[in-house]
Amino acid sequence: MINAEVKKKFRAIVGDEYALDSDLDRFGYSYDSSFVPLVPANNPDMVVRPLTTEQVAAVMAIADEHGIPVTPRGAASGRTGGSVPLMGGISLSLDRMTNILELDEKNMMVTAEAGVRTIDLYNHCAAKNLFFPPDPASWKMSTIGGNVAENAGGMRAVKYGVTGDYVMGLQVVLADGTVVNTGGKAVKNVTGYDLTSLFVGSEGTLGIVTRALFKLIPMPKTRGTIRLMFGSLDAGCETVNRLLQENIVPAAAEIMDKTSLDAVARKRSAAFDPAVESCVILETDGEDQAALDAQAKRIAAVARECGVLEFQVAQSQAESDELWAIRRTMSSAVAALAPNRIGEDISVPRSAFPEVVKRIKAISEKHGLTIAVFGHAGDGNLHPSILCDLNNPEEAERAHHAADDIFAAALAVGGTLSGEHGIGITKKPYIYKALGEAGVKLMQSVKQSLDPKGILNPGKIW
Amino acid sequence: MNKTADEQLLLKAKDQVVQCDRCGTCLTVCPLFAFRDTERVSARGKNAITRALAEGGLRPTDEMLSAVDFCLLCQACVDSCPNKVRTDEAMIDVRQYLTDKAGGVGIKYKLLGGVMKRKALVKMGAAALAAARALRLGKLVPFGMAPEEFTRAKFLEAFAGPAALGRPAAPGSAVPSPAAKVAYFRGCGMEMMFPAAAAATRDILGTTTALIVRDNPCCGMPHLAHGLRGDFLALAKENIDLFADVDIIVTDCGSCGGTLKRFGAYLAADPAWRDKAAAFSGKVMDLTEYLAKVGYQPRAKVDVPVTWHDPCHLVRGQGIRQQPRELLKATGKFVELKEADRCCGGAGSFHIDYPDAAAQVLARKQANIEKTGAAIVVSGCPSCLVQLAKAAAASGGKFKAMHISQVI
Repeated sequence: MINAEVKKKFRAIVGDEYALDSDLDRFGYSYDSSFVPLVPANNPDMVVRPLTTEQVAAVMAIADEHGIPVTPRGAASGRTGGSVPLMGGISLSLDRMTNILELDEKNMMVTAEAGVRTIDLYNHCAAKNLFFPPDPASWKMSTIGGNVAENAGGMRAVKYGVTGDYVMGLQVVLADGTVVNTGGKAVKNVTGYDLTSLFVGSEGTLGIVTRALFKLIPMPKTRGTIRLMFGSLDAGCETVNRLLQENIVPAAAEIMDKTSLDAVARKRSAAFDPAVESCVILETDGEDQAALDAQAKRIAAVARECGVLEFQVAQSQAESDELWAIRRTMSSAVAALAPNRIGEDISVPRSAFPEVVKRIKAISEKHGLTIAVFGHAGDGNLHPSILCDLNNPEEAERAHHAADDIFAAALAVGGTLSGEHGIGITKKPYIYKALGEAGVKLMQSVKQSLDPKGILNPGKIW
Repeated sequence: MNKTADEQLLLKAKDQVVQCDRCGTCLTVCPLFAFRDTERVSARGKNAITRALAEGGLRPTDEMLSAVDFCLLCQACVDSCPNKVRTDEAMIDVRQYLTDKAGGVGIKYKLLGGVMKRKALVKMGAAALAAARALRLGKLVPFGMAPEEFTRAKFLEAFAGPAALGRPAAPGSAVPSPAAKVAYFRGCGMEMMFPAAAAATRDILGTTTALIVRDNPCCGMPHLAHGLRGDFLALAKENIDLFADVDIIVTDCGSCGGTLKRFGAYLAADPAWRDKAAAFSGKVMDLTEYLAKVGYQPRAKVDVPVTWHDPCHLVRGQGIRQQPRELLKATGKFVELKEADRCCGGAGSFHIDYPDAAAQVLARKQANIEKTGAAIVVSGCPSCLVQLAKAAAASGGKFKAMHISQVI
């Protein structure tokens, strides 16, 4: 609980309109897009919506003084409970900080505040022919502060990497309200510890990211789409692997298993060839159409050697949209198969992709639950979706055991718990298995030195 | 409404909202969230409130009723939702639930519902406005907007006389099946506020068929939206019986059409009415849908640029997007409107309940209309026309708002 005196101080900082504490407003900031249950609600005591870094700093100084927990929040589109205020206190909503402060065309860098939506940043840069590649599936609503804090990935990671690969510097408000600026525009920079990287992916537990400097690359001139159908999942994985080995790097390489395809087919009232066991959709990009054609030719050759059943190159934007529609409707099509879906986010070495999928299929049989698998074949990050009815306690139990087994399988093949969603609340139980005692202890000591009172996003990661 | 029915309503809403996985896609399309961006305003927020209410995590309060009431029911969230969660339907159900819990609907909606239920009042057209004003519902008709402002005659005056409409087109080429009995559904909003447009609709329909016009009661949407579900169901049944013998029911109001087409769904659980309601809904067509089917050609060319605003309950409620555009293209100078299917803020009585919010939603619409350079913004819903007429006035005469029947 925050006492009335202290609440008054927060109100004075951001203005009455932006400090909310009615029951309904507190509830509105109690959840994110994870499967952490809505009830009982993890209500904050107050929602504080600052407009500037100075306001964030002032809020943190008071929170620090009174030992009030602070959980930063952007669009609450996270999948692991990162922005859920588990210990009450303040939900620090950064969604009013929406300024894109500078687009430095010469250095190809952009500076933006934490609350800027990913898609807005992309469009702002694209207007100047500059490319901000990280494209988490939630990019239409997610904010870049959250993207940095979770080190969000996306479909283009196979060629262009993840959010962290583009962060050159950060403005961070520390637990006590101190404002630090890390990194900068110098491409080479080894002055001291790499604090920028420390805060990237720290899930709001080490500091509040209020501003980020990103590097950009020139916008690819043309893009193409290719859809490949295979008689087995292995053949699809093999094709993607061979492409990368031969230095044909698609901008995106998405793979879907038969369960996922059937879900889409059902939704679109269309049928795929019964022999099809997996589908791969590739995005290619390059200098001009000739470059795309040449790539398509090489891809076709590799795919044929791997036994591709169908190979289709989109001939128009409309066709390209049509091919991508399969992937874009995948998530909701799969979700529609059952009352609940536990969507996971494991990441494995690329070569282990077929093996881990095999293990997931075995887990599916063992627990008698359908598990659809789709994901980013190009980087080994896959999203197994356990289909279940969580209102049925017995089935919920089985579903959670299946999730446990999936994490175990990921670790067993040399993978990890999360590729792009973070740990948050939902993956906490597995952290020691993934990192070991010493690993967790080291992280805790980092946390201890930056946030000695433990007020920043408490209850997360471990 | 008894307790069990209440609980069933909440369960029905819950069935919808548990499909929400809180991804936040709706945050980017909600016309209200665009300027009042607290979570409770968003569809995600409203779905979460509903779910928590159903799961016992939140108790019903006035604050909650005001939160679920602050919704345009425009379905923009439904359209963008990966799981197609019907937040609009859930809001209607939760409003009913909370209204019943709070001991009944507020006096304003009782009066409104009363006017709408009394066909005699609606039928009297202009006289009904006086009655409405007497009941302190005068704000329904902002700026004392006189119905004749929207007649063809005024339109001709405003745009350089009859020449603006060019030569009358050849008589309608529509070939309706001689056997089909086609009826016009008299919508309250059209009758009360835009009688000239309603008359134009009947004229147009009259060129395609021997039109049946009856004294039908209200479609019930205003009642349904504001916690008067019992009244809604009674009106639905009355309408179903009244039109049992016709083959096609044409409406020139997007909201009436969207509601009439869902009678089947709303009465699906009532064995005595299920089949009749489904049959009724199958007969309903929007004016533009009907005219496209019968191959109607506009009576005249229009020499000024015209644009089209999609009523929410027409474009998302009924999936009608192309038909009005094709009709307007045939009049000569159609220009597309940016964000044409974004709510104008009218939303039934929303613009009366929340004038400031409605004005903010409308400002964006007005700016988009002005950018088209169109002299007329055309639509197919009285609530939209009231809003668009406000925008037209605010624009200082840059454009006029008209019902499609007055242009084609």
